[in-house]
Amino acid sequence: MLCASSVRGWSLGFANDGRRTLAARRPRSSGFGAAAGDDHEGALVARHSVVIRLAGESGEGVISSGDILTQAAARGGYWTQTFRTYPAEIKGGPCMYQVRMGDRKIYSHGREVDLLVCFNQEAWDLHHDALGSEGAILYDTGVDIPDEYAERARPVRMEQLAKELGGSLRAKNMVAVGAVSGVIDFDTAPIEELVLRRYAHKQGVADANIAALHAGEAEGGDLSGALAIVDPVEVEEDRVLMSGNQALALGAVAAGLDYFAGYPITPASDILEWLSAKLPQTGGITIQCEDEIASLSSVLGASYAGAKAMTATSGPGLSLMSELLGLAGAAEIPCVIVDAQRGGPSTGLPTKTEQSDLAHALYGGHGEAPRVVMAPVSVADCFWAAVDAFNFAERFQVPVIILTDQGLATRMEVIERPDTSAVDRWPRVTAEGIAAEDYKRYEYTEDSVSPMGIPGQPSGQHVATGIEHDEYGNPGYTPEIHVGMQRKRWAKLDPLADGLANHVHHGEEQPEIAIIGFGSTYGSVREAVERAADEGLSIGMFYPRVLGPFPVERVREFTDNARRVIVPEVNFTGQLARLVRGECGISVDGRAKSDGLPFTAEDIYELIVVQEVTA
Amino acid sequence: MSVETPKPKDYKSDLKPIWCPGCGDFGVLASLYRAFAELELDPAKTVIVSGIGCSSRLPGFVKTYGFHTLHGRPLPVAMGVKLANPELTVIAVGGDGDGFAIGIGHFPHAARRNIDITYLVMDNEIYGLTKGQVSPTSAVDHKAPTTPWGNLETPINTLAFAVACSASFVARGASFNTKALTELIVQGVEHPGFSFIDALSPCVVFHNTQDEWKNLVTDVAPDHDVADRTQAFDLALRGGFSLGVVYRERRPTLNERYAQLLGAAKTSDVDAMLDAFTAREGVAMGGPAAS
Ligand SMILES: Cc1ncc(C[n+]2csc(CCOP(=O)(O)OP(=O)(O)O)c2C)c(N)n1
Ligand code: SF4
Repeated sequence: MLCASSVRGWSLGFANDGRRTLAARRPRSSGFGAAAGDDHEGALVARHSVVIRLAGESGEGVISSGDILTQAAARGGYWTQTFRTYPAEIKGGPCMYQVRMGDRKIYSHGREVDLLVCFNQEAWDLHHDALGSEGAILYDTGVDIPDEYAERARPVRMEQLAKELGGSLRAKNMVAVGAVSGVIDFDTAPIEELVLRRYAHKQGVADANIAALHAGEAEGGDLSGALAIVDPVEVEEDRVLMSGNQALALGAVAAGLDYFAGYPITPASDILEWLSAKLPQTGGITIQCEDEIASLSSVLGASYAGAKAMTATSGPGLSLMSELLGLAGAAEIPCVIVDAQRGGPSTGLPTKTEQSDLAHALYGGHGEAPRVVMAPVSVADCFWAAVDAFNFAERFQVPVIILTDQGLATRMEVIERPDTSAVDRWPRVTAEGIAAEDYKRYEYTEDSVSPMGIPGQPSGQHVATGIEHDEYGNPGYTPEIHVGMQRKRWAKLDPLADGLANHVHHGEEQPEIAIIGFGSTYGSVREAVERAADEGLSIGMFYPRVLGPFPVERVREFTDNARRVIVPEVNFTGQLARLVRGECGISVDGRAKSDGLPFTAEDIYELIVVQEVTA
Repeated sequence: MSVETPKPKDYKSDLKPIWCPGCGDFGVLASLYRAFAELELDPAKTVIVSGIGCSSRLPGFVKTYGFHTLHGRPLPVAMGVKLANPELTVIAVGGDGDGFAIGIGHFPHAARRNIDITYLVMDNEIYGLTKGQVSPTSAVDHKAPTTPWGNLETPINTLAFAVACSASFVARGASFNTKALTELIVQGVEHPGFSFIDALSPCVVFHNTQDEWKNLVTDVAPDHDVADRTQAFDLALRGGFSLGVVYRERRPTLNERYAQLLGAAKTSDVDAMLDAFTAREGVAMGGPAAS
C-alpha cells in the first residue's frame, strides 16, 4: 500500500507494492484537471491528469522518450496531449517534450509541470521554473539539483543503465520512460508491447530495452505515489493518436484529395512527407516542387483540370504564394492551402509557434482577392477543417487557407476516431449538361457561382484568366465588368458570413466576460473558461472557425452583454484584436504575446481573474 | 468537332488577336492552328497554358481550353494540368521574359521531370507588353529604355540551356517560317516528354529584327545527329539561328513514372489509413530507439 508517512504528498521509500489499486482512490478536484491538490495535506489521492516534461539536448533521446511515453499513454487508454519545442538545428541545442495524460478528456498541454525529467544540467536550469509547487524531478546522475528540492528529486542512472542493460547509450530513452512510469504508477505493459512490436525479429534487442525500462522503473519507483495517475476508464469508442498535420492530411484524403504539391518547410513538411507515402495508395499524386510558387501554381493547374488539390506551407511559403492567391481568386479556381504558422518575421523562429499570419492570410496579395480563411481549434478539428475547406473551395470556387501553427501542427493528441461516414463531398458545378453555345465560364448567377468547364468536357471550353474579364472569360476592363465581377467574386462567400461556417462556442451565450480567439489557443482558453465558470464568473468563449469572411454579426451577438472582451493571441501586434475592433466596432482587451510558446490554461486564467480583481 | 479532318481555321476562336500588325506572334499562332489540325487535336482535350506578356495572350485566340496564368508561371501550372489528367494535350506558351527572366526557375525542373508538355516560347529578345525593355535574351549592347547606353549583360543561350537542363526535345523555329514551325510543333506535341521550342518571333514595334533574322537563319544541317547530346550542345553554342530539331531523347515521362508507381503501390483508403493511428495499437512515431 501507499506509504502514509509522506511529506507534502511525497511517498518516500519503496513501499509501493499495491500500486495498481490506485484506481479506486478519490480524485482531487480543483484547478486544472486536478493537477494541484487542495485536499488534506499528505493524503494520497491519484490525479486525473499528470504533466510530464522531458528536457535535454536535442539528439540525446528526449524526443524519442516523449514519443514512447505518448504512445504508451494512448495505448494504455489515457487521453493525451503533447507539446514540444526544439531548436532549428538538427543536432544540438536544448529541446523539450511535454506529455500530459489524463483519464478524462484534456484540452491543453498544461503548464505546471508535475514531473520534470532532466537529461542534463541545462535542462534543469531552463525548466525548473515550470515545476509546480509539488512537482517532482528525475535527473541523470551528475546533474546538480539544489538541496531544497532534494526531497522530491531522484537521480536515475540513465546513461549507466542504458549502457549496462540496454546495450547502448541509445537505450537512455527506455530508462527515462521506465523511471517516469515508476513515479506516476503507470503500468509498463503498453511500453513493453511497443518494444516487442518494434523489435519483433530481434529478441535480444527487445530484451535489452525491456531490461533498461524496468531498471529505470525501479529507480523512479522510489518517488512513487503522490503523482500517481487515476487508472483510465475502459472505453468502447475508437480513439486515434495523431498530430494536427496528420489530421489535416487524413481529412484531405477523406475529402477526396487527388493532387498535393509542396516544398519542405518547418513545421509543415510532414504533411508533404506523409502524403508522399500515402496519397499514391488512393491513386492520387504528391509532388515535391522547386518552390512554393510552383507548388501553388501546379495545384491551380491540377484543380483547373478537375482535381481536388492542396498545398501546405508555413509563413515564408505563403508569402511566395501571394500572387497566386490573387490568380486563384480572380480565375475562380478552388484550392486548399495549409499554413502551419511559425514565428516571424522573415525566417524568424522556424520551430516556434506563432499566430502571426492572420492578416496575411486575410489580406495578403494585391487587388482584393477573395478567399476563405479557416482556423481549426484542435487536432480533431484539423481533420474536419480539411474536409470543410475542400467543400468551401469547391462550392465557392475560391482558395481556402487553413491556419494552424507549430504548436497545433506538431502536437500529438488522442482524439475520437473521426467518423468518415459523416464526410460529405461538395460536387463542383461544371459545364456538364450545358450546351456549348450557352456556356459562360464566369456567368452571373443567383449565388454568383458559375459552372466550371473541366478540360475533357466538350461544352465547357474557356480561358481561365487572372486578367479582368467578362462572363465568357474574355478580357474586359470597363467599369461595369470590373465592378460586376468584383461583386460576384465576393458575393459568393455570403453564405459563410450568414452562418454556414460552424463556429466554436463554449460557456455562456452572452457572457459578461467574453473571450474571442482563434485556432490553437482554444484548448487552454477552454480549460480556463471552465475553471472561471466553476468559480462563478459569467464567462464564455467564441472561436470563429472561419475568420474570412469574418462572422461580424455572431461576434456582436456574443459580446452584447459583455463588460470585457478579451482577445488572447500569439503574435506581437494583436491582429485578431484589430480585426474584431475594426469589423465589429467594439472595444476589446487585446492580449497578444509572442514568446514562441503557446498560452497555457493558467496564463488565460490569470488574464481573466487577475484583471477581475484589479478592475 | 466533325468527323472530317479538322482545318486550321476550326481552331480559331471568336476573339481577334490584339497584337500589333506584323507582330511575329501571328506567324506562331498560324503555325499552331495548322499543327493542331495536322495532329487532329480534340479541342476539348487540349489545354494551352500561358504566362503574361503580348505572346501570353495566345490562348484566347485558340478554340481549346486555356489558362492565362501569371507572369512566369505557365510551366508549373501546365505540370499540374498534365499530372491531374494525363489524357490532355498540354501546351505552355509565353515570351522570353516570361520564360527566361521571371519564370526561368521553373524551366530546369519541368525539363528534368520530363513532363509531357510542349513549351513554345515566342522569343523577340525584348519585353513587348511593357514597351521594349531588355530581356534575358537581348544582345549585348542592345539599346532599350532600361539600357540607354546599351545592354551590359550576356544573353542566355536558350537552346544550350535547354540541352543542359535535360530537356528531351529541343528545337528552334521562326514565326516567319510557318511551314517549318508547324512541323516542329507537330513533332514537339508528338514527342513524349518535355518539348522546348524556341520560336523567333520579332516584335515589330519595339525591336524589329524581322529582316535581320530572315537573313541569318539557316536550316539545321541534315547530318546533325539529334540523338547526340554533344552535337546538340555544339550546334546550340555555335549561335542560335539554325532552325530545326537540335536534340531529341526518349526517356520516361513523369506521368509514365508516376503510373508505374501507382501500379506498384498497394491500394488503401482513409479508413485503412486511420487504422494505423489507433491509439491502442501504438502508432508509427519515432518509436523506441534501437540499441
Ligand atoms: C510579377 C509581374 N511583374 C511584372 C509584370 C509586368 N510584365 C508584364 S509582361 C512583362 C514582360 C513581357 O515580356 P515577354 O515575357 O518577353 O513577353 P512579350 O510581351 O514580349 O511577348 C512584364 C515585365 C507582371 N505582369 N507581373
Ligand atoms: S508590342 Fe511587339 S510583341 Fe507586342 S504585340 Fe506589338 S509587335 Fe507584338
